[in-house]
Amino acid sequence: MSTEAIPAEKPKRNYNALFGLTLLALLVLLWVILSVATSSFASANNISNLLRQGSMIAILAVGQTFVIITGGIDLSVGAVVGFSTVIAALLINAGVPVFAAILITLLVGVAIGLFHGFGIVKMGLPPFIITLATLTSLRGIGLLMTNGNSISINNDAFQEFSRNSFVGVPNLFWMVILVGIPAYIFLHHSRWGRYLFSVGSNAEASRLSGVNVQRTIYMAYTLSGLCAAFVGVLLASRIGIGNPTQAEGWELQAIASSVIGGTSLFGAVGSVHGPLLGAFILATINNGANLLNVNAFWQRIITGLLIIVIVYFDGLRRRGK
Amino acid sequence: MTSTAQELHPAPTLQPGRTILELNGLEKRYPGTHALKPVHLAFKAGEIHAIVGENGAGKSTLIKLLTGVMPRTSGEVIWEGQPVALATPHEAMALGINAVHQEVVLCRHLTVAANMFLGEEESRFGLLQQRAMVKDAQKIINDLGFDLPAHVVLGDLTIGQQQLIAAARATVRGTKFLIFDEPTAYLTRKEADQLFKLIRRLKGEGVTIIYISHRMEEVFELADRVSVLRDGTLVGTRNIAETNEPELVKLMINRSIEQIYHKEHFNPGATIVETRSLSGKGFENISLTVRAGEIVGLYGLIGAGRSEFVTTLYGRHRKSAGQIFWQGEEVQVNSEHDAIRLGMALAPESRRDQGLCLNLPVGMNLNLPIYKRISSNMLISGTKEKAEADRQIADLRIKTPTRNALASSLSGGNQQKIVIGKWLAHGAKLFIFDEPTVGVDVGTKAEIYRLFSTLLSKGAGIILISSYLPEVYELADTLHVFRRGKLVATHGFRTADHEEILTQALAEKQEKQGGQT
Repeated sequence: MSTEAIPAEKPKRNYNALFGLTLLALLVLLWVILSVATSSFASANNISNLLRQGSMIAILAVGQTFVIITGGIDLSVGAVVGFSTVIAALLINAGVPVFAAILITLLVGVAIGLFHGFGIVKMGLPPFIITLATLTSLRGIGLLMTNGNSISINNDAFQEFSRNSFVGVPNLFWMVILVGIPAYIFLHHSRWGRYLFSVGSNAEASRLSGVNVQRTIYMAYTLSGLCAAFVGVLLASRIGIGNPTQAEGWELQAIASSVIGGTSLFGAVGSVHGPLLGAFILATINNGANLLNVNAFWQRIITGLLIIVIVYFDGLRRRGK
Repeated sequence: MTSTAQELHPAPTLQPGRTILELNGLEKRYPGTHALKPVHLAFKAGEIHAIVGENGAGKSTLIKLLTGVMPRTSGEVIWEGQPVALATPHEAMALGINAVHQEVVLCRHLTVAANMFLGEEESRFGLLQQRAMVKDAQKIINDLGFDLPAHVVLGDLTIGQQQLIAAARATVRGTKFLIFDEPTAYLTRKEADQLFKLIRRLKGEGVTIIYISHRMEEVFELADRVSVLRDGTLVGTRNIAETNEPELVKLMINRSIEQIYHKEHFNPGATIVETRSLSGKGFENISLTVRAGEIVGLYGLIGAGRSEFVTTLYGRHRKSAGQIFWQGEEVQVNSEHDAIRLGMALAPESRRDQGLCLNLPVGMNLNLPIYKRISSNMLISGTKEKAEADRQIADLRIKTPTRNALASSLSGGNQQKIVIGKWLAHGAKLFIFDEPTVGVDVGTKAEIYRLFSTLLSKGAGIILISSYLPEVYELADTLHVFRRGKLVATHGFRTADHEEILTQALAEKQEKQGGQT
């Protein structure tokens, strides 16, 4: 038995990196096509604009990916973004120092994530249900707090942050890097990252191997809530108002970015670079469609079709292996 | 579709004794394994043909090929004189080939009648004729002599009753060739008798039956002919009247018991774990000890409480009473985490559900219990991770192209080596193996047993749960027999014979008979 030769078979696992490259190629291809097709795409102004547009969904998608890898889903992130703009606006207008206001807003995001973990682990609710419930209630709580009004933020420095650039790159995009690099190290080079995958693959086997499954689930939703609250702060800075109805539907864009980036909704498959690329592919399509004067309604249809095509080919490729 | 049960009921026009299905060099290869080597075999109409062989001998592969679940690699299948592709389950069913599986593959939430007619529903003007279906289903069930209601939800029946419904269902689709895959695994004797009656009746109607079973007495009770598979090869076909059990067993394993069960005796050392009157869900009042260097075997039927006992010991479930002593000190094991920290390791019963992360790489599966050790602070040392994985793959002789291959791509035996092997690096003191050789071929079995010796020589203790008597019998230094959640007997190494142990595990029969007389 032991003397039999090991069968020659291609390694199966390295597709993550390869897939990342294919996505990157797709993104570059889109950029090349748009540069040729329109005069305005390649301008510094437009590129900065594009990076700003994609940044917030990209950060949401990273948090979302942690959750999806465990086999769950976080539908609340859009609502958390809207709610966070309200918290940040109220705090800043009340005279709380900006850094403290940001910190508190982030903690609110953490608290929401912990609540999701509690609902799933302790109450046994499906992730879809508990986060759907938060999605609708958070919007309601925000509306109660603001009486349905928008709150203008009276702090120029806070708002300037999102408009400014650092060494020619918009600050918002720097924030993607600020989140992306630790997220990458966390997911791919720490044992907590390994546990996210193992729980998503087989929670029972992980438990019997000594992995703290409950803590892993708490962690995934907390990180997703934290990312969403952080995006809320960025959005408040960019728009300059706190309004709980903002970021409507962003949860779906975050999920779409994640899935385009190769994350499997069945869990245990995903990366950090994939969703980031996915988010910027979506942003590029919207941006390009605007420049090409494509009807805004058509943009939605194209985005939908694109999700089907990319995920279909991804599935084909995986089955082929 | 408008049809009645009567029309669906088979009326085969086959002459008994004629060849109905012929396999011409049927073969199946997976990447890395040759699951079925070219098989030449002809099945006659109206015969009951038993197929026996060890786990992993290729029986399930053969069934999957015949029922169109998987495509064959090469070879020819001749059905009633015509070559057929058997590419899809639908094609097989259309020809009249059906299977009744060991696990019931029906819809638990639908009624018995709905299941019987699933895919062949009676309808009029597009509306389901529910009442008519219940009536027809009941008639079929009554005809078969089963005392079961057709209108209840399938999930409300026992597994055995569900199995009978699955068999009944297979008879109403114009079946000419019916495969039973270990149908009696979950049946009571009475249910099994009903099933045998059904099988004989189908045979009388000219249906060809393939009967797969581990139970030799059933093979000799039912079959006309028997074929033996070993390591993917058809090693012989015999008329049942011209063979006997020892011959079949010899064909099945082709080696003596001593060659498989490699048993080394070590002098038992200090007590590692002791339970005193431990009780919990599914077992009560279990007191036993495990010492360094010994294998403690737990034998009993499925559901005798052995798995529940060890999972409770391992902190998966809460104990209701009793004490656990670890190296002489009383301990509370409230979670798997506690158990692992003490130095226990559990290789669970179900590889797929509890043992492996199938869609993750082999290396990650092997390292899962030791990530804490191979990472400093939070970050994993990439070199240590690779080195540990490669070392274990080499030590355990796991057949895999690389440590990055997905666990799902490995054969059952190699997957089992991961389940067991991931604990070796962890350095546990007490190893709990729950049915470690189910679905594993003989060669891998021998390797796993050798692994046991290695563990024992390093001063570890082993709890071995097995429903396969020869395994515990040949390996356990102390053998405890479980029955209905209780420890009913204890033996030393080979101090009792098979029959005595089996009687103690079963005993129910005697008790009942004793109660009646």
